[in-house]
Amino acid sequence: MMRTLFMRSLRSVAIVMVILVVIADMYIASVISLYDPSVSESLAVMQEAMPELFAAFGMANAASTLLDFLINYLYGFLFTALLIVLAAYLSNKLFASPLKDGSFAWILATPCSRSSLILTFVVVEAVAVALVVALCWIGEVAFCEAWFPSELDQRGLACVNGGLFVLGLFVVSLCFAATILFKNAGLGLGIGAGVCALFFLMGLMGSVGEGLAWVANLSPYKLFDPYSLAAGSADAFANVALLCGAAIGLNALTVIVFMRRDFSL
Amino acid sequence: MDPVIQLDGVTKEYGADRGVFDLSFTVERGEVVGFLGANGAGKSVTMRMLMGFIRSKAGRVSIGGLDCFSERATIQRSVGYLPGELACPSDLTGESFLDFMAAMRGCCDRARRNELVSFFELDPSVRIRSLSKGNKQKLGIVAAFMGSPDVLLLDEPTSGLDLLMQRRFGELVRSERERGATVLLSSHVLGEVESTCDRAIFIRCGRLSSEACAHDLTLDSTLERLYGADALNLHWGAKPIAGRRDVVRADSLGTLRGGRR
Repeated sequence: MMRTLFMRSLRSVAIVMVILVVIADMYIASVISLYDPSVSESLAVMQEAMPELFAAFGMANAASTLLDFLINYLYGFLFTALLIVLAAYLSNKLFASPLKDGSFAWILATPCSRSSLILTFVVVEAVAVALVVALCWIGEVAFCEAWFPSELDQRGLACVNGGLFVLGLFVVSLCFAATILFKNAGLGLGIGAGVCALFFLMGLMGSVGEGLAWVANLSPYKLFDPYSLAAGSADAFANVALLCGAAIGLNALTVIVFMRRDFSL
Repeated sequence: MDPVIQLDGVTKEYGADRGVFDLSFTVERGEVVGFLGANGAGKSVTMRMLMGFIRSKAGRVSIGGLDCFSERATIQRSVGYLPGELACPSDLTGESFLDFMAAMRGCCDRARRNELVSFFELDPSVRIRSLSKGNKQKLGIVAAFMGSPDVLLLDEPTSGLDLLMQRRFGELVRSERERGATVLLSSHVLGEVESTCDRAIFIRCGRLSSEACAHDLTLDSTLERLYGADALNLHWGAKPIAGRRDVVRADSLGTLRGGRR
């Protein structure tokens, strides 16, 4: 791994990452401030009355604990959408834009093997996702402990965020692979981000429409089930391991293509 | 004879007669060679193959006996490159870009870098997105030369430079030759090739058309080598002569197509 390239790449995406985290943490704070077991009962009644509307925003389950409440209001929609935005941004900033304007030539002109260059970018991708998930997690814990001390199931939240990290890794790997796979990096980025968004919508469709559950089952996002992860289900962990395997496979594809392809820069 | 840069029967096709075809030439150690061709003739494609950015379909491209694609990391330790369509990361200042390149290339001769910066009157504290085309070019020149590389691949190096800086660039290339560096320099500027190069290689429609001693070049002979005699007979307002138009079109294809490859 190239330390100089790693630091430069991480610095170049830092500002937008901080903005994303700040927005997410503000939303986390406002969601947690709404938590009230008695209100939760009212929300459960509303949810029963309008299940499709709630499901459309990834809030398909009634929340009986603080962790369930967080999962219901954060993990079904906000965090998943945030990861797609992060993936598209990282792919654009690290690959698509420098390939389009030609500045990537300077990186290729350094005496570093292509494998070490691309592996550095893969590490940047993983670290960026880990940082965003970790900072959101810290926000969740901090706000929960400030307003509802000792009420949060920390172990369950750790399992959920572990799964979220793997989901983020998969999404970013998919965008990276598409950006490198296509000669036109902009087109590749569009296809990568588009496929991620499609998988996301398939997941939402499956939970909204009757008889559309099969659509959600086709989406890799189905492998991330935060409720089962919080409950410590072995199947949920196995599914996350599958997602992790897919992310590793996509990264392996990215490395192979990057090492062989032409760069007309 | 000690060839450093070698192309032997190299072909890289992009379809519709675009690319380079069966291209062979060598550049000896310590030699400065001008590489001339019309727009789209295949100069940048050749440079990219030498840098290992793209792989030839046939033939062998090597620097110092090493294959330019499979052993590019080893080769690039001793190569300084200036891309034809220069773009630097716009979010950096000139200083931080040079720091980044020095760290990536493992060159630590700060004195030489400062000498180059002051020779080209460059202010490296400015953010790259605010630099003019000429100043970006100066930055690229400093980045290519600061590591005192053994081989320099320069794709239209004086593009955007003012007359004084073009002259200083010529001085720099001559001093690099005295140091023993091998230079391949693509250019459209005849004066630059005459004043800095030992020899000129001409490429036309992707094929090697001729070679000449740089000091013997004249404008007419250069134009003829670049575009063919028939192309020179086409003048604004003149009636096309039957049978000549196709010849002109074929010889000027590179110019008409323009753009990158």
